[in-house]
Amino acid sequence: MTLSLSVNGTPVEAQVEPRTSLADALREHLMLTGTNVGCEHGVCGACTVLIDGAPARSCITLAVACDGADVRTIEGLDEDPVATALREAFAAEHALQCGYCTPGMLVTARDIVLRLPDAGEPRVREELAGNLCRCTGYVGIVRAILRVLAERKTAG
Amino acid sequence: MTQSARKGVGARLRRKEDERFLRGRGDYVGNIRMVGMLDVAFVRSPVAHARIRAVRKSPGLESVVFTIDDLTGVKPIVANSALKGFKSAPQHVLARDKVRQVGELIAMCVAPSRAEAEDIATQVELDLEELPAVVDMVAAIEPGGPRVHEEWSDNVVLETLVDDDLSTIRANAAIKVQRRIRTARQCMSPMEGRGVVAHYDRRLDQLTVHSAAQMPHINRAGLSECLGIDQGRIRVVAPDVGGGFGYKGILLPEEVCLGWLAMMLGRPVRWLEDRFEQLAANANCREHYYDITGYATADGRLLAIDCEAIVDSGAYSSYPFSACLEAAQVSSILPGPYRMDGYRCRTWSAATNKPPILPYRGVARTGVCFALELVVDAIARAAGKEPYEVRLACLVPPEAMPFVNITKKFFDSGDYPEALRRAVRVLDLPKWRERQKRGEPDGRRVGVGLAIFCEQGAHGTSVYHGWGIPMVPGHEQCTARLSPDGVLELRIGAHSHGQGLETTLAQVAHEILGVDPDNVRLIHGDTALTPYSTGTWGSRCMVMSGGAVATACKEIEKRVRAIAGKLMEVAGDDLVLEAGRVRVAGTDRSMSLAEVAHVWYRAPQLLPADVDPAGLETTAGYKAVRDSGTFSYACHACAVAVDTELGTIEILDYVVVEDGGTLVNPMIVDGQVFGGTAQGIGTALYEEMPFDAQGQPLASTLADYMLPGATEVPTIRIEHIETPSPLSYFGQKGIGEGGAIAPPAAITNAVNDALADLGVEMLESPITPRRLLTALAAARARRGAG
Repeated sequence: MTLSLSVNGTPVEAQVEPRTSLADALREHLMLTGTNVGCEHGVCGACTVLIDGAPARSCITLAVACDGADVRTIEGLDEDPVATALREAFAAEHALQCGYCTPGMLVTARDIVLRLPDAGEPRVREELAGNLCRCTGYVGIVRAILRVLAERKTAG
Repeated sequence: MTQSARKGVGARLRRKEDERFLRGRGDYVGNIRMVGMLDVAFVRSPVAHARIRAVRKSPGLESVVFTIDDLTGVKPIVANSALKGFKSAPQHVLARDKVRQVGELIAMCVAPSRAEAEDIATQVELDLEELPAVVDMVAAIEPGGPRVHEEWSDNVVLETLVDDDLSTIRANAAIKVQRRIRTARQCMSPMEGRGVVAHYDRRLDQLTVHSAAQMPHINRAGLSECLGIDQGRIRVVAPDVGGGFGYKGILLPEEVCLGWLAMMLGRPVRWLEDRFEQLAANANCREHYYDITGYATADGRLLAIDCEAIVDSGAYSSYPFSACLEAAQVSSILPGPYRMDGYRCRTWSAATNKPPILPYRGVARTGVCFALELVVDAIARAAGKEPYEVRLACLVPPEAMPFVNITKKFFDSGDYPEALRRAVRVLDLPKWRERQKRGEPDGRRVGVGLAIFCEQGAHGTSVYHGWGIPMVPGHEQCTARLSPDGVLELRIGAHSHGQGLETTLAQVAHEILGVDPDNVRLIHGDTALTPYSTGTWGSRCMVMSGGAVATACKEIEKRVRAIAGKLMEVAGDDLVLEAGRVRVAGTDRSMSLAEVAHVWYRAPQLLPADVDPAGLETTAGYKAVRDSGTFSYACHACAVAVDTELGTIEILDYVVVEDGGTLVNPMIVDGQVFGGTAQGIGTALYEEMPFDAQGQPLASTLADYMLPGATEVPTIRIEHIETPSPLSYFGQKGIGEGGAIAPPAAITNAVNDALADLGVEMLESPITPRRLLTALAAARARRGAG
């Protein structure tokens, strides 16, 4: 099937089978390998991307269901101001080690920052429950998100 | 020196590798794309134990389905130990005659995509005669049952015995506590699974195997043995690796299969492990059983430990660590950080129809610490003492360091009692005892728990040659090259999968040469580009690769001094290397490292005729002053609230006081401790790979295999003691594994503290709600009956 959608702001077409997941379409057909596949059943969150602005699991989303959708991956967040602030905070707080969960973690973190400007630590942790990290014990990730939330408050 | 303080050893330097990962530009094996690449899916055994009557390929698919009969010339994986009595279990890379675990590889299917390869796999017909499965390790070593390997006399891979005469202690000890303790089988679960991309380079006559591997040089040796081609014809490349934890420290049958296939087809082939394969076929660590007795004086001073331990080794012997490393290690490390008068320990490595065991972060230490520290707490309860008091009475004191313990381990340095005292103080034990007395408004029960351990890291030849396994670490090497533009290239044979070696080894180089860490490039993970190394395992890289980098940089420093001295017409010794420059001491005359390098490579006419011709590139080797290992240590202390209605446990506070010697990058050390502790919390409360009576794995998704998430891991508080190791280059100690060792013991001791007056004592990990409620019900029944 021919799939037409917008990826990172650019209209693209790909020939995919009906069974192809969005993750595979991005990685294998569009060569966007920044989105990592962790569990392929929607638990670990490594493959989280934005579909029409909302975080979604690309591993359990069929590519054909995204026909006409606006998909944004980690590669499309290079210039995003919130993602930029998060990257700075993630590096400062040592919020990543092997880096495999990081793209999905950043997509979720960005959503938390935009959607929940008043979130405190317990809420941030709850919101992160769908993104597993095996390296950091979440300490740096939680600190990084709280840091960006605080910075944005200060900046008004 | 100010420069060094900022960027060298001891600096909280941000990681050089972060930039690419934060932009989705990490390159893991799954990201490799090659023209004409085909995907592989495997047909795996659906049963735990069976004789293979036939494997039938559907007509028309003969050229894309391969069984062991097709893999001519491929030898089985053999990982033997030279220890007396070890039984060998060669592993065919695709099953021959029998399957011995669910998930064992039977056939390899190849197609343009993984989906199509999986379609082909469903068309391979298996004719299997199912045999009784050996599932429980305790039953496995009893005589008379079914055997995993029919040619063996029993299911014991190896039995070991340390046999002191304990009769006097037994007769005189006022306190004797005996416990049967178990830890569940686990899956290490790095976020990235294993994966292999293999291709054959006709020009070089070389097989390149890209693999998510911790020990690429070891994989190369193993591939050479199995494929029967010399090592020069094999290149193993480990690109960015998405977490290891021991899971990727193995020669995979899949690597051998894909290596053969790439050479046979002349096309690149790829296999990426999916999570189902990881959980259902490759669950692989931590399953221990202890029947352990502690003897103590009336006031709780530990006198002796007597233990019989079994480790479930699974069906085969993993290359290179073998099926016996873990159980045999139990006997050498069970005494922990304590002094004692007597010690007896008998261990068995039990073969079962389950996936082979692999050493997971902490290896046997997590189980050993769990068993020992639960017994020490039981002794404290019997003596009517605080658990920290009985520990203080028998911890090796600082004045006894270095200390040779009862199993001849050489504890290099440290203040174990201070770690314990400080953990108790930072947790604020009296506060929790007071709160415990008061009771919780919500009816939960509060408990406090401790565990202390020491961790041997970076141990080398003298420790490992005795095992007689396929890998013995020797000297670690580094190739250092000051490039024409002044950038320093470092090449090491170990690999990084999250540890941040690109940063910490640049800090080491900065410490010696003054080169800016931004101008240091680490090349690792590629056998064609790096010196040989046994790789990344055993908390060894910061000590061994760090020592090798320092040694190589020292040599480069000498040569830079010689060249720059000639150019500036001073003695080499009169030069200072700092901030990327070579300066004449006491003057502002200087030249940059880049200028020195430029002259050497591109303007050699400026050099005098008698210049040392060795140049600005060198390979240097390193071994610690003695290779018995550095001993980091830590005390973990926590407070928990136990809900006796729901069986749930909340961690209210968690403190780690650890000594990693000189910390090369304290931020990265903290990250290792945080991450390890989170994994230990998983071991304590959540993670379990259960099997049914037929040997079927019962957790095949991450919805069944519970990894701790952000809501399960508390903010962990870390304090450091820094006692430099007398054995390593900068005094650093290996600490990568330590975090994962103590949490099951500390948390279980806290739960048992909370529930002691109900007569509940948990002795099995993980403490799931079901296990806890069952124990509470049993205690209620006992009280009712009493």
